[in-house]
Amino acid sequence: MLIIFIPSILLVILSFFKINRTLMAGVSSLIIVPAIYIFLHPFVNEYFLVDKLNSFVLLISSIVGVGVSLSMISLPDRLNLNEEAIKRFYRFFGIFWFGLIISILANNMGIFWIGLEFATLSTVYMIKVKDSLTAHKEAWKYLTVGAIAISLVLFGIILMYASAKGVLGENAMNFYALANSADKINSFLFEIGFTISVTGFFIKMGFFPMNLWLADIERASIYPVAALFSGILESAIMLGFFRLSKIEMLVNASHLVTFSYIYAIFTLFMVSFLIYRTKDFVTTFALSGIEHMVLITIFWVSGGYFAALLHLAAHAFLKPALFLSSSMLEQKRRYSFKGALKGYKNKLVPLLISLLLLGIISIPPSPMFFSEIFGFKAMLDVAQDSDYFLVMIFAIFIIMILLSIIFYKFITIYQEALYDGKDEPKKVYKSEIAMLLLFTISLLALILPQVFDYIEGIIK
Amino acid sequence: MIYYIIQVLSIFLIAPFLVGVIKSIKMFMLYKRPMSPFQPYFDFYKLLYKEVIYSKESSAVSKIAPILIISPLILVVFLLPPIFSGSFYVSFMDAFTITGLISLSTFFLMLLGLDSASAFGGLGSSREAFISALVEPAMILTIFSVSLMANSIGISKAALNLASSFPATHAASFVLAAISFFILLVAENGRIPVDNPETHLELTMVHEAMILDVSGADLALVELASGIKYAIFATLFVTLFIPFGTELPFALAFLVFIAKLLIVSVVIALLEVNTAKLRLFKVPNLLGISIIFGFLSLITFYILGGVA
Amino acid sequence: MIDVLIGFYIATLITELFTTRLYRLLGWYALNSLFLGLIAIYMGAQIGDNAMIISGTITIIIKFMLIPYVLKYIATKFKIPRNINPNLKVHYSTIIVPVILVFTYYLVNPIIHNMAYNANYVALSISSLFLAMLLIIEHKNIAPKIVGFLSIENALFLLAISATKGMPMLVELGIFVDLLMLIVIVNILFKHQGDF
Repeated sequence: MLIIFIPSILLVILSFFKINRTLMAGVSSLIIVPAIYIFLHPFVNEYFLVDKLNSFVLLISSIVGVGVSLSMISLPDRLNLNEEAIKRFYRFFGIFWFGLIISILANNMGIFWIGLEFATLSTVYMIKVKDSLTAHKEAWKYLTVGAIAISLVLFGIILMYASAKGVLGENAMNFYALANSADKINSFLFEIGFTISVTGFFIKMGFFPMNLWLADIERASIYPVAALFSGILESAIMLGFFRLSKIEMLVNASHLVTFSYIYAIFTLFMVSFLIYRTKDFVTTFALSGIEHMVLITIFWVSGGYFAALLHLAAHAFLKPALFLSSSMLEQKRRYSFKGALKGYKNKLVPLLISLLLLGIISIPPSPMFFSEIFGFKAMLDVAQDSDYFLVMIFAIFIIMILLSIIFYKFITIYQEALYDGKDEPKKVYKSEIAMLLLFTISLLALILPQVFDYIEGIIK
Repeated sequence: MIYYIIQVLSIFLIAPFLVGVIKSIKMFMLYKRPMSPFQPYFDFYKLLYKEVIYSKESSAVSKIAPILIISPLILVVFLLPPIFSGSFYVSFMDAFTITGLISLSTFFLMLLGLDSASAFGGLGSSREAFISALVEPAMILTIFSVSLMANSIGISKAALNLASSFPATHAASFVLAAISFFILLVAENGRIPVDNPETHLELTMVHEAMILDVSGADLALVELASGIKYAIFATLFVTLFIPFGTELPFALAFLVFIAKLLIVSVVIALLEVNTAKLRLFKVPNLLGISIIFGFLSLITFYILGGVA
Repeated sequence: MIDVLIGFYIATLITELFTTRLYRLLGWYALNSLFLGLIAIYMGAQIGDNAMIISGTITIIIKFMLIPYVLKYIATKFKIPRNINPNLKVHYSTIIVPVILVFTYYLVNPIIHNMAYNANYVALSISSLFLAMLLIIEHKNIAPKIVGFLSIENALFLLAISATKGMPMLVELGIFVDLLMLIVIVNILFKHQGDF
C-alpha cells in the first residue's frame, strides 16, 4: 500500500541533491509503475478504495506525468532555467503527486479533500518556478482564489457529511456508503452541500464567473505546469465531481441536470467568445480546457458515462501535449499565431502538432470525435426523457453553436500557423519529439476497440 | 417617592465629582500631584461669579443655548432606571426617548459652537456631528437589545427585571451589548480614544472647540451639562449592564450604586492613561465596531436564544 | 457557556474586519482561534467526545499559538507593510456586516429545521464564513488575505463541530497538516519575493 508513494517521496528527497536532470526525469517517470500496479491489483481498505474508475484516471494522469517529465529534460535549455529552478519543480512535483494519489484513490470525502488541497498548495509554488513579476502575482492569485474554491468544497463536504451522519455515523464520509443509502439521507441538506461543493470544483476549473483566472495563471507559469494543471489536477477534480454527482443523481437527478446545464451554458458562452479573441497559444489552450471540462460535465450528468470518460482521457492526453508543444510553437514570438508551424527541420514535429491541434476540435480520427458523438447522443436521450423537451433541445442547440465558434477559431489558428508568416528556422529537442510521440501513441491507443470496451465497462 | 428624589439629587450632586475623580486618578497615574476630586465644584462656583461675555457676531442662540443644553439632560436624569427595587420610577422611558433627549442636547451644543462664528466652533461642531451620528444608531440598538433580553421596552422596568432574574441564556448578547455600550460611553463623553477633554490643540479638540467662546455662568452650565451627561451614561451602564444590588435595603443599594459608578470611572481613567487618542478618521472604525456589536447582540439574541 | 464563547468568536471575527494594523489583526485572529478551541473542548466535554477535545486542543496550540507567531515572524522578517487599510470604507462595512448576519440567518433558516442538533450555531458559523470572505475581499494586501483564509478555515471548523459533532479524526488531522503546508507555502512565496 505504501509502495505507491515511493516514487514521489524519492523525488522530493532527490531534489535536495545535485542530480543529472535526465536521471531526474527518469526517476519522475517511475510514477507510472505504481499506477500500473494499482491498475492491475485493485485494493480496498478503510480509507482507500480502488475501483475501475479511479485506477483508470490514475493511469491516465501518470502517463501525462511521464510526458511532462520527458519534456522537462530539454525545457531548461529552452527557457534558461537554472539548476535551482529545476530542483524546485521536481520537489513540488513530488509533493503534488503525493497529494494527487491520495485524492484520486480516496473513498472518503475528507481524505479526497485533503489530497486535493495538498496538490493545490504544492502547485502554487510551481507557478513560480521561473521567477517573474507576473508569475509572482499569479501565484498569489492562485493561492487566494484556489483557497476560496477549495474552502467551498470543504464547506459542502461538511454539509453533506451532516446530512448523512444521523444515518451512517462516521461512514457518512464514504462515497460508496453515501451512494448505497442515498434514499435515507437528508436530501435538502445534501443538495445544498452538493451545490456548494460543485461550485467550488467549478471555480477551481475556471468555470463561469472565474473564466480567465486559470488562463492567466497558465500563461504566467512555465509550460509543464500548465500541462499538469490541465492534464492531471483537472482530472482529479473531475473525478470528485463524478463521485459526488453519482450520489446526487440518486438523490435528485433533475436538479443535477438543470444546475449543470445552466452553469455549462453560461461558461461556454463566456469561453467561446474569450477564445475567439485570444492572441496566443497558451491562453487559447487554457480556455479550451475549460470548454472541454464543461463538455465532460454535461456528458456525465446526461448519463453518457462512456463519452465523458473517453473525453476525459482524450483531453488529458491532448491538452498537455499541446501545452508542452507550445514551447516549440512560441519560441520565436509569443503573441502571434503566424508561422508557428513553419520552419522545422524535422518534418515529424509539425505533422504531430497539427494532428493534435486538429484532434482537440474533434476532427474524425481523434477520440474526441467519438466521445462527442456519444455525448451528444446521451444529451438527446436526456432531452427525450425530460418533460421540457423543447427547452433541452434549445440548450443543446446553443451549446452546438458556441462549440462551432471555438471550432472556427481553431481552424483559423491552424491556417495562420501553417500558411501565414515568415519561414524562420526553429529548434526542436529530441525529448520533445519523444514526448509528442508518447502522447500521440496514447491517443491512438484510446481508439482501439479493446480500450473502448474497457472504458464502457468502467461504469455500467 | 422619597427614594426617587434622593436618587435624582444624588446623581446631580455626584456628577462633577465623577469627572473630578477621573481627572485626579489620571494625574496620579502620570506622576503629577493629583488635584482634589472636588475641584469641579469649586470651578463651578468660581465661574458663576465671572462676567459673561458674548462674541460680537453671536446671535440670541448663544444666550439661550446653555440652558437648552442642560435642560434635556436634567430631564433624562429624572427618567433614569431606579437603583432600588422599591423606589418609584418613570416607566415610559425607552431607547428612543433617551437617545432623542441626549441628541437634543448635543444639537444645541453644536449650534452654540457654530453661533460664535469662530473657525474653531465650526470645526468642533462638525466633528461632534460626525461622532454623534455614529453613536445614535449604536445606542438605540444596544439599549433595545437589552430591553429585549429583559422582556420590557421601558428601560426602568428592564433594569429591575435584569436585576431580579439575570437572562443566563442570553449571556452572549448581554456581554456584546455591554461592550458596545462601553464604547459609546467613552465616545459620547469625549474620553480619550475619541476626544481628549484636556487638550486645547486645534487638531484634536472636539468638545473643547465648541465651547471656546463661552464664558462665565454659561460655561459653568455647559461644563455641568457634560458632567451630568457622563453621570447619565455611567448610571445607564451600571444599572443595565452591572445589574445587581437593587434588591438590597435602600441604604446598601445606594452605596453599591455609588461604588459601581466609582469603579466605572476608575476603569475609564485607567483606559485613558493607557491608550493613545485615535485619529479622527479612525473613529468610525471604533464606533463601527460598537454599532456592529449592538447589532450582533440583537442577532445572537434571536439566533442563540431559541426564540426562532 | 457555549453561547458566550460563540458570541465572542464572532465578535473577534468582526473586529478583524475593522482592524487597520497587521499585528493587531493577527492578535484578533489568535483570540478568534482561542475561542474556537475552547468551544470545541467544551462541546467535546459535553457530549463526551474525546476526538473533539483533542482537535480543540490542537486548534489552540496551532492556531492560537503557532500560526500567529509564525505569521508575525514572517511579517517582521520580510518587512511586510503593517498598515493595512481596507478597500471598503468603514461606513459601508458597518452596513454590509449586519446585512450578512441577517441574510445568512434567513439563508440557513430552512436548513435549521432540518438539523437535529446545534442548529443555531450553524447559522452563525455560516455567517462567519461569509465575514471571513469579506475580509479577503476588502483587503488589497496579501497578509490580511491570508488571515482571511485562515478565518475561513476557522469558520469551517466551527461548522464541522456544530453541524456534525466533529468529523472523523483522520480528516481533521489532515486539515491541520494542510494548514501547516499553507503556512510553509506562504513563507516560501514571501521569501522569494525579490528574486527576479
